[in-house]
Amino acid sequence: MLEEYLPIWIFMLVGLGFGAVLLTVGFVLSPHRPDSEKLSPYECGFEAFEDTRMKFDVRYYLVAILFIIFDLEIAFLFPWAIVLDEIGWFGFGAMFIFLAILVIGFIYEWKKGALEWE
Amino acid sequence: MNFDYTQLIPLLPEITVLTMACLVLVVDVYKTSKDSNLTYYLTQLTLVMAAILTIALPATETNRVFNGMFVADSMSDLLKLFIYIVSFMVFVYSREYLRAREMYRGEYFVLGLFGILGMMIMVSAHNLLMVYLGLELLSLCLYAMVAMQRNVVTVSEAAMKYFVLGALASGMLLYGMSLLYGATGTLDIVEMSNKLSTGDLSSSLIMITGMVFLITGLGFKLGAVPFHMWVPDVYHGAPTSVTLYIGAAPKIAAFALVMRLLVEGLGSMQAQWQDILIIMTVLSLFVGNVIAIAQTNIKRMLAYSTISHVAYLLLGIIAGTQSGYVASMFYVIVYAIMSMAAFGMILFLSRAGFEADSLDDLKGLNERSPWYAFMMLIVMFSMAGVPPLLGFWAKLAVLKAVVEVDLVWLAVTAVAFSIIGAFYYLRVVKLMYFDKAEDTNDFIAGPDMRFFLSANALAILGLGIFPGGLLSLCASALGM
Amino acid sequence: MYELIGLSGPQIVFYIFSSMLVISALMVITVRNPVRAALFLVLAFFSASAIWLLLEAEFLAITLVLVYVGAVMVLFLFVVMMLDINMVPLQEGFTRYLPLGLAIAVIIVFELSLVLGPENFGLEKFAAPAAHTADYSNTKAIGSILYTDYVYPFEVAAVILLVAIIAAIALTFRRRVGTKTQKPEEQVAVRREDRVRLVKMKAEKR
Repeated sequence: MLEEYLPIWIFMLVGLGFGAVLLTVGFVLSPHRPDSEKLSPYECGFEAFEDTRMKFDVRYYLVAILFIIFDLEIAFLFPWAIVLDEIGWFGFGAMFIFLAILVIGFIYEWKKGALEWE
Repeated sequence: MNFDYTQLIPLLPEITVLTMACLVLVVDVYKTSKDSNLTYYLTQLTLVMAAILTIALPATETNRVFNGMFVADSMSDLLKLFIYIVSFMVFVYSREYLRAREMYRGEYFVLGLFGILGMMIMVSAHNLLMVYLGLELLSLCLYAMVAMQRNVVTVSEAAMKYFVLGALASGMLLYGMSLLYGATGTLDIVEMSNKLSTGDLSSSLIMITGMVFLITGLGFKLGAVPFHMWVPDVYHGAPTSVTLYIGAAPKIAAFALVMRLLVEGLGSMQAQWQDILIIMTVLSLFVGNVIAIAQTNIKRMLAYSTISHVAYLLLGIIAGTQSGYVASMFYVIVYAIMSMAAFGMILFLSRAGFEADSLDDLKGLNERSPWYAFMMLIVMFSMAGVPPLLGFWAKLAVLKAVVEVDLVWLAVTAVAFSIIGAFYYLRVVKLMYFDKAEDTNDFIAGPDMRFFLSANALAILGLGIFPGGLLSLCASALGM
Repeated sequence: MYELIGLSGPQIVFYIFSSMLVISALMVITVRNPVRAALFLVLAFFSASAIWLLLEAEFLAITLVLVYVGAVMVLFLFVVMMLDINMVPLQEGFTRYLPLGLAIAVIIVFELSLVLGPENFGLEKFAAPAAHTADYSNTKAIGSILYTDYVYPFEVAAVILLVAIIAAIALTFRRRVGTKTQKPEEQVAVRREDRVRLVKMKAEKR
């Protein structure tokens, strides 16, 4: 079965080759004048004032988590769409209930205001 | 595809709980007044409806639907009924406590209902896949409920520990399941036990390794030593209403899990799992009864007491006889009733801004209210196993089952440790009756809580005087 | 089939990707920089999905990339890049707990090597399934049983997702009071009487 993946193999090899070649070319051809100042962090020309990491609003994570949940839900739709004509109304009903349960969650998060950015 | 819709009939309680939980969720976001009790009443209505359906549609024989993934038998019926009753009381007790701490939100009840659904799925699971899904549904609700009061440091710590160790336990359980699947080629519990009963598969290395991983996962969920580390921290750190929830009904579901996996699934490997369970039991007896003496926090003390009760519960399973399983089932139900009353008492003594979770808070309870001091006395004596209270009969039943299979030394050990354990229960009684009260505030609990708490404690007394009914109920549920 | 140093094509591919998987998984727990650890985890997921492709589990392989690499790892990266955590104190216990961790790892590896050897899962126990032809759809095979035979666990999965939504919102969401947000519907619905008040007053004397 691997023969069918030949285009992908070629694609991967070309991708790897390109990456390797470009990095080597850049490394070989570019001038090297190492200097510790070049590697030190800077902030608009000044010494850095504070750490890069900072407290982040938890709402970003909430949006990301909600995205993941609905992403997973979408993953269930692919096989369903392909076999819908075989599984008939029963399969349709199964997916209907599945989506209905998640729509309840959607109503909840909408009404709760979790999707709003105050 | 032809689907026989009568298959759905045994699932009606589950469908009801699911539908109502969704309804409660939607009603809760649409309701206008913040303090309204609508969510609470709908939640309790759900439990009543589910109980009626379970009673109205009793499983006369083992009924397996959905390709054997769901099973309805008399054991699942009885355990589900007790899950409803226990959860009903839990919600009654939690109400004032939640209200005083601004946690009286719809999410508590909705997550509680989904947790109950998870327990019901676990109780009726006849397929490793469903065991896992039910367990995850319950655990997810529990993690969220523990973490709900997120601004309190102890709560976040408890939630974090619970989540990390719970995830680890689930991983262990899944790993065990995957090995069992690899060896037997089936996820179905009945098919698995059929495959094991013929040939020498049940003594093969791969089955034993899978079983060890499975027991490790179960041990975590039950809180048996050496997998007990999370129990004291979670019981202590979580809001008391959530501790009450975790301590009562999920233990019944965990018992069902042990029955389905070890007894029904791996029944022919009994010789192998018996030894592991004996080690876990002896260690739990030791840790649960000895370390509890050193505790000054009553929630922590009750957490260690839970560990020791889990050990007694395992005694009946170890016996491996039908009467042993009956005794275990009786024990888990009795334990749920007792732990409900004990944690209910802490909730009863707490009020806004004050957590009655130190042993000193019980001092002089007799002066403040002789009636509730008496109620607590009943609970403590019952947990210690003093006749004629319910806890005594439960202990007697499991010990009898162990002695019947000639494990007399184990029974003697259990009795010895329960005598050590009696010390810390009696200390509570001493504090209530012979010390001076430090806290003289009035109790804020409403009439419903007073009624149910008294009824709960009196039930321990009443059922203790007439233990035959509950015991024969358990026996008939297991077909004896 | 091509033969190279005694290995067939699929075997070579398997060894490449499985060694990539093991190495990147090791790197996840050993590199100091958490962002690099997360990126190695991405590589581990990719290698795992390549192995699933070898097993002809195409749908699962793509789902693994889609869900884990596309969504979960983005969240992970987000957390480790943005979070205000100094990693140095977190790594302090590493050497202290290393012996215990290594001991447990050795025991588990020992157990697994006892169990997962060819005597239990070898070709004579489980014959290699015949390879499917190019028009065989793995996705179709999953779909035809997931929504029929496995409909009960499928719906329970939906309930678990719903609980995840509720839990995420209950734990992280707090409505702020006093934020000044624009409400377009109120702005549009406004009438002249709400905003403008005509007041008649006499001119004041100087």
